[in-house]
Amino acid sequence: MVKSQMRRDKWVSLIIILSMVLLAVGCSKPAAEPAITEKPPIEETPAATAAATEEPPKEPVEITIWDKPIGNENDPALKFVKEAFADFEAKYPHIKVNHEAIPTGETERQVFVTAMAGGSGPDAYSFAHFPVIGEWVKQGLVLDLTPYWNEYADKDQYTPAVMGEATIDGKIYGLPHHMYVMGLAYRKHLFTEAGLDPNKPPATWDEFVDYAKKLTKPEQNQVGYALLGMEWADWFFEYYVWQAGGDLTTKNADGTVTLNFTSEPVVKALQYWKDLKWTHKVVQKNVVQGYAENHNDFFNNRAAMILFPSDAAIAVVQNGIELTDIGFAPFPAGPAGKNPSQVGGSYWIINPQTSKAKQDAAWLYITYMLSKEMQEKSLLFTRDSGQIPNILSIRKDVDPSQFITKIPKDLVNGVAKAAENVQLEYFLKERLGTYITKAIQKVLLDEKADIRAELQAAQDLAQREVADPYNQDIKK
Amino acid sequence: MQTSLQIKTKPIKLLRWRKIPWTAVIFVMPSVAAFLLFKYYPFFQVFYMSLFDYKLVDGPGRFLGLDNYVLLLKSTTFWIAVYNTFAFFILTLVFVFWVPIVQALFLNEIHRWNRFYRFMFLVPTAVPTIAGIILMKWIYNPDYGLLNGLLSKVGLGPYGWLSDPHMVKYAIVVPGIFGGGLGLLLYYSALQGISKEIIEAAQVDGAGPWHRMRMILLPNLKFIIMIQFMLTLAITFLTFEHILVYTGGGPINSTRVIGLMVYETAFKEYRYGISGAISVIIFLIVGIITYFQLKLSKVS
Repeated sequence: MVKSQMRRDKWVSLIIILSMVLLAVGCSKPAAEPAITEKPPIEETPAATAAATEEPPKEPVEITIWDKPIGNENDPALKFVKEAFADFEAKYPHIKVNHEAIPTGETERQVFVTAMAGGSGPDAYSFAHFPVIGEWVKQGLVLDLTPYWNEYADKDQYTPAVMGEATIDGKIYGLPHHMYVMGLAYRKHLFTEAGLDPNKPPATWDEFVDYAKKLTKPEQNQVGYALLGMEWADWFFEYYVWQAGGDLTTKNADGTVTLNFTSEPVVKALQYWKDLKWTHKVVQKNVVQGYAENHNDFFNNRAAMILFPSDAAIAVVQNGIELTDIGFAPFPAGPAGKNPSQVGGSYWIINPQTSKAKQDAAWLYITYMLSKEMQEKSLLFTRDSGQIPNILSIRKDVDPSQFITKIPKDLVNGVAKAAENVQLEYFLKERLGTYITKAIQKVLLDEKADIRAELQAAQDLAQREVADPYNQDIKK
Repeated sequence: MQTSLQIKTKPIKLLRWRKIPWTAVIFVMPSVAAFLLFKYYPFFQVFYMSLFDYKLVDGPGRFLGLDNYVLLLKSTTFWIAVYNTFAFFILTLVFVFWVPIVQALFLNEIHRWNRFYRFMFLVPTAVPTIAGIILMKWIYNPDYGLLNGLLSKVGLGPYGWLSDPHMVKYAIVVPGIFGGGLGLLLYYSALQGISKEIIEAAQVDGAGPWHRMRMILLPNLKFIIMIQFMLTLAITFLTFEHILVYTGGGPINSTRVIGLMVYETAFKEYRYGISGAISVIIFLIVGIITYFQLKLSKVS
C-alpha cells in the first residue's frame, strides 16, 4: 500500500518536472542572433572602404551600441541624445541601432572585456580609455580602422595629440569620443586670503613651493597642495618627470621598452615630491589617500591647489562651488623649463568579431556622432539647457568657447593654454605603475629613504618582472 | 547459456536500481549540472588558461606550459602578496575570529533582554560592507579623522593609520573585533541546541562555568568553528574588495594580497595566463590548509 503510494508520488513528481521543463523551454526566447557572424576581414581594399564611407550599403543592417544614457526622463541631456539617435536613423534608414546601456559590473572596462570574450560585445564602443586601447588592440578586441581612416574626409580635424594613443604601429584603431587635459586647479579665495594674486598662478617649481607654503595653514586643517601618493601616484608623478626633462619609460623603435626610473629627471622629480612632503610640509598628512579624497579636500577648502582634469568642471558645480572661485593653469615648469600637460579621454572602437556590414554601419554611426554638425549641436544644447560643457573639443573645427556662457573666460583660457602643449602618458603604464609607485610611496612615507636606492630597486624589479618578459615577447 | 551466478546477480542489480531515490536524484540534478557548469568547468578553464599567454579573442594564444608558474614563483611581488595574505589570515584569527564565539557564550548566559542583544548584534550586517569601510576611512583620516581627534585630546598622535606600512594591516583587520553578525548567531544557535539536561547534570556534579565551557559548550561548537575557520580562510584568500577600497594594495605594497593580484593581472594588465596561474595557486593553498584542518579535527 505504502509502496504503491510512493511509486505514484514518484510518477507525479516526474510528470511535474517534465511539465516544468517543457514549459520553460516553450516560454524561453528564441536564440539570439550570434554576435560572431563571420570572421573579420584581414585586408580591405580602399575601394571597398570608400564604398562603405561614401555610398553606404542599402541592405538593412542592425547594430548594437552601448551608448544608451542612464538617467531619468527629465534629464535635459537625455532629450538631446534621443534626438541625435533619431537623426541618425532618419539619415540612414537602412541602419537600425540598438542603443543599450553598459551592463553593470565592477568597472565598465571589465564588463566590456568580459562581454567581448563571451562573443556578446557591442558592435561599437566609446569608452576605450587612452591608456588601455593599446592593450585591447593586443588582445584582439579592436578593429584596425586604417582603411576607413584613409578615406575619412574629416581626418585632418583631429590633432596628433588626440590621435596619439589610437595610432599604433602606423595604424589607426580609434576615433576620439571625449577628451580632457590635466592642469593645476586652485581655489581663488584661498589665494586672496593668503595674499596671493588669484590671477597669477605659480609658473615654476620654486614659485609653486612659495605659494604652497603661504597656503598651508595647519590650524585651519588647510594644506597648499593635495598630493596624489596612492596607488595611482605614477599618474601625476610622470608630469613632474616631464617637467624635469625626462620620461619614465622609452618605447624603442622595435616596440621594446626601456626603463628610465633611475635617470636624472626621475630622481629630480622624486626629490621635489620628497621636499614638498618632508622639507616644506605643504601637503596633506595622508599622502596615500585616494583620488576622490583629494578632490573632497579641494572642494572643502582643505587643499588650495590640486591637479585636475578639465572635464570635471561639473563636479565643481555639483559640490556647490562657484566656477568663479576656480583657477586653472598649465603645470608649473620644472628645471627643464618644460610643462607639458597630459591629455586623456576615450576612443570609439569597432568590434573586430562582427560582420563587415555591421562594421561599416558602426563606422557611419561613429563618424556621424563625431561630425562638426553634431558636436556643435551638442554644445548648443548644453548651453541652452544651462549645463556645463566639456571645455576641450576633440575637433579642431569646433570651438567650445563659442558656446560657453556659464564658465568664466579665464577658466576657459586656462584650459586652452594647458592644451597647447600636451604629452601622452608613459609607455607600458598599466603594467609598470605598481613598481614605480612603490618607490614613490617609500620616499613619501619614510623621510630617511634614499631616493636613488629606491628607484634602483624599483627599476631592477620592474626590469626582471615586466620589461624583460615583455621585450622577449616582442622579439618572438 | 546463463550461469547460476548471472541468474543470481540480476535481481540484486534490479533491487539496487529500484532503491535509488530517483525523486531526490532528479531534483538535485539541475544544481549538480549548474555546479559542473559554473564551478568546475571555470576551474578547469582557468587551469587551461594558465598554460598559455592567453588571448581572449582567437584564443588560447601562445602555449607556455608552466612558464607562467615559473614567472610567478620568481616574482618578488607575488611572494609579497602571499606573505600579506597569510599575515591578514593570522591577524584575523588573532583579533577577529574568536570574538563571536565569546560573544555567543556570554549571550547564552544572558536571558533578560536576550532578543534585544541578538537583534543589536545582527543589525550592522544590513549595512553595506563598502559603506562601513568608507566610514572607517573617515575615522582613520590623520588630518580630520575621529580617531586621531580623540587621541590628540590625551596627547597622542597623529597616526597615519592607513598610510603607515607597519600599521595598515592592523587598521584594516581590527574593525572586525566588534564581532556580531551571522557568525555570532550561528554559534548561539549551536549553543541553544545543547541539551539543558546535560548542563544541569554537570552543574549538579559541581562543574563550574569554566569547566562547562571547556567540556560541554566548546566541544559542541567544534563543527561550527571548523566551518567558520574554513570560511574565514576562503574569504581571506579569495576576496580583495575591502583592500581595494581601503588602500588599493598600498602603501608600498604592504596590503597587496593575492586576490588583488588576480584582479589586477586580469583586468588592469590583461595577462590572463598569469591571473589563471595565481588562481590555481590560491586553490592549492586553500585546499591544502583545509585538508590538514579536517585531518586535525578528525584526529582530535
